[in-house]
Amino acid sequence: MGRPTSLTLRLTLLFGAVATVVLLAFGWIIERSIEEHFAVADFKELKEIGQAVEQSLSPLQAKPDLSHLKQRFDDILVGHHGPLLHVSDASGKSLYRSPGPDLSLIPLPSPDQFSQDNIQQWSDTKHNYRVLIQQVAGQSNGPYTVIIAVAIDFHLHFLKEFHRTLWLMVVCGIAVMGVMGWIAVRQGHRPLHRIVEKISQTSADELNNRLDPNTVPIELTELALSFNELLQRMEEAFTRLSNFSADIAHELRTPVTNLMTQTQVALSQARDANEYQEILYSNVEEYERMAQMIGDMLFLAKADNGLNPPNTEYIDLKSEIRNLFDYYEAWAEECHVSLTLDGDAYVQGDRLMLRRALSNLLSNAVRHTPANSSVAVELSHAESDVLIMLQNPGTPIPAEHLSKVFDRFYRTDPSRQRSGEGAGLGLAIVKSIVEAHSGTIVATSDETGTQFRISLPTLADPTRLHPNPDIL
Amino acid sequence: MMKLLIVEDEEKTGEYLKQGLTEAGFVVDYAQNGLDGHHLAMTDNYDLIILDIMLPDVDGWRILKSLREAGKEVPVLFLTARDSVDDRVKGLELGADDYLVKPFAFAELLARVRTLLRRSTNPVTELSLSVADLKLDLARRRITRGDQRIQLTAKEFALLELLVRRQGEVLPRSLIASQVWDMNFDSDTNVIDVAIRRLRGKIDDDFDLKLIQTVRGMGYMIDTPDVNT
Repeated sequence: MGRPTSLTLRLTLLFGAVATVVLLAFGWIIERSIEEHFAVADFKELKEIGQAVEQSLSPLQAKPDLSHLKQRFDDILVGHHGPLLHVSDASGKSLYRSPGPDLSLIPLPSPDQFSQDNIQQWSDTKHNYRVLIQQVAGQSNGPYTVIIAVAIDFHLHFLKEFHRTLWLMVVCGIAVMGVMGWIAVRQGHRPLHRIVEKISQTSADELNNRLDPNTVPIELTELALSFNELLQRMEEAFTRLSNFSADIAHELRTPVTNLMTQTQVALSQARDANEYQEILYSNVEEYERMAQMIGDMLFLAKADNGLNPPNTEYIDLKSEIRNLFDYYEAWAEECHVSLTLDGDAYVQGDRLMLRRALSNLLSNAVRHTPANSSVAVELSHAESDVLIMLQNPGTPIPAEHLSKVFDRFYRTDPSRQRSGEGAGLGLAIVKSIVEAHSGTIVATSDETGTQFRISLPTLADPTRLHPNPDIL
Repeated sequence: MMKLLIVEDEEKTGEYLKQGLTEAGFVVDYAQNGLDGHHLAMTDNYDLIILDIMLPDVDGWRILKSLREAGKEVPVLFLTARDSVDDRVKGLELGADDYLVKPFAFAELLARVRTLLRRSTNPVTELSLSVADLKLDLARRRITRGDQRIQLTAKEFALLELLVRRQGEVLPRSLIASQVWDMNFDSDTNVIDVAIRRLRGKIDDDFDLKLIQTVRGMGYMIDTPDVNT
């Protein structure tokens, strides 16, 4: 499909079309009414003559005085604009014929049509006429056929002139209205141009630019609002991205510094094999941490770009969590933390991704639970959603930190970042997995402990799960 | 003696892989570009080929395709820097047997290589396994050390079975997690260490001969320690 027609052209054409239709209709009505007016006037004249002729004929004797009659007819015709008259008797014999064209050439209508006023147009080689044909009863040689005609050349000429003027006016009118329409459209689009100007001034550095929806015409408020929303989202994503890059650099700086210092110090003098071995072991640990961080960051980067394609399958959350308990049990026992599971739920989603999310949550919870208490997982169905609640007692997370626990590289206690707690990406991964399943996750915390609440649609709409398994 | 081919354009990676695998007891040929790799793979007979996908000239896909078209069923493990589903699917469709995403732990690579080699040689199912005086009765799921019965949980049994089946091999934690618990991602916890510690408590602590060994920086293995040392 090509590009849609320009708005200006479209509106101009529409204006033109409307103007054309209106002017044409207007012209047609005027033309019709003038024609009608002429026809009525002609008819009236023809009728008057017809009645006079009829009156002259009705007292007609069996043997009419033709010369007298002729005189009478001449008199009748005098008062009018050169009409023609032709009277004939039943045998077709012409009784009177006014000078000029021979009206007897006009074909006569069938007898039953004589009862009405029979008006028709007729033209000989030179002129156009409107013709009335009627029959008049007579005492002898009747009925008489009376044909009266008036020239309408003058009318026709006038109509023709008028027609031409009208058309000219219509064409001019259309042209003028088109141009005016075009100007009006251009003018009408000015607020749009202003918005475009404003938008084009928005560069990546000025994502805080906003359109004031009160300064645009009401029709464009929606546009301004959507544009503002788009900017808002872009600004957020942009900030997140720049923070993320900065965080990555920062997070990598520490292990790289460790590795560099350690290796350089080690190389600064000869050491025995055991020492070298120690250094290499320590390096391996550092590398492993970095490798895991890279893996996690790639996962998140893919999630951001919608490239993690969750396979949808039917998952029994209860058995899935039992498996995780199985995995973490020994470790939790060593931490003197017990794990409890309550409820039952099924969900449609990606098994590996959900397992990873739940695993991260669970290990996070065990890590923050004081000894001799328990981490409780509760599964339930609520309307069309599945709820997964994970609760553990522990030091409450202050409200200002609570909203940030899902942020990348966020740790409640910055000094604890090297104590085997991972890179601080665990909960960010949980969130991105939940969101890839069109779910939500909320954290709350008070004296009794911390609670994570995941809500997943039971039947995740597969089209809403990122369908694009593209290459990152 | 098992003969392996490594095709890898990154020289450092290639050299270290070669060294590591040679030291693990394999005969290793190393090709530094796709053309040589293609030639070697097609002409020589290898027990396994480790193939980098991103090669400057003839890429890994081409080599893999040529191999399969020529009817060579040698197991192929491919290495990729891009962990994308497409790559994985493509590799497996073309007939690769396994893949690893860079960066990977060498122990992981070694374990996978051994798995593939074993798969292609002996698909025998044993009824019992043993290391030194430790015996696993797989059918009855009973474990004895010397003449002493040992009670293990199901997962402990699975863990021990994995270690014994692959005795002498260092198993990285990630491999243990994935084989025993089906957890295919890195956990930042020391779950595996705890599990091993518990297993040790049951099969090693009361005996002089310790079977489970920690290989620092790599993982765990079960082995009969050389009695002479």
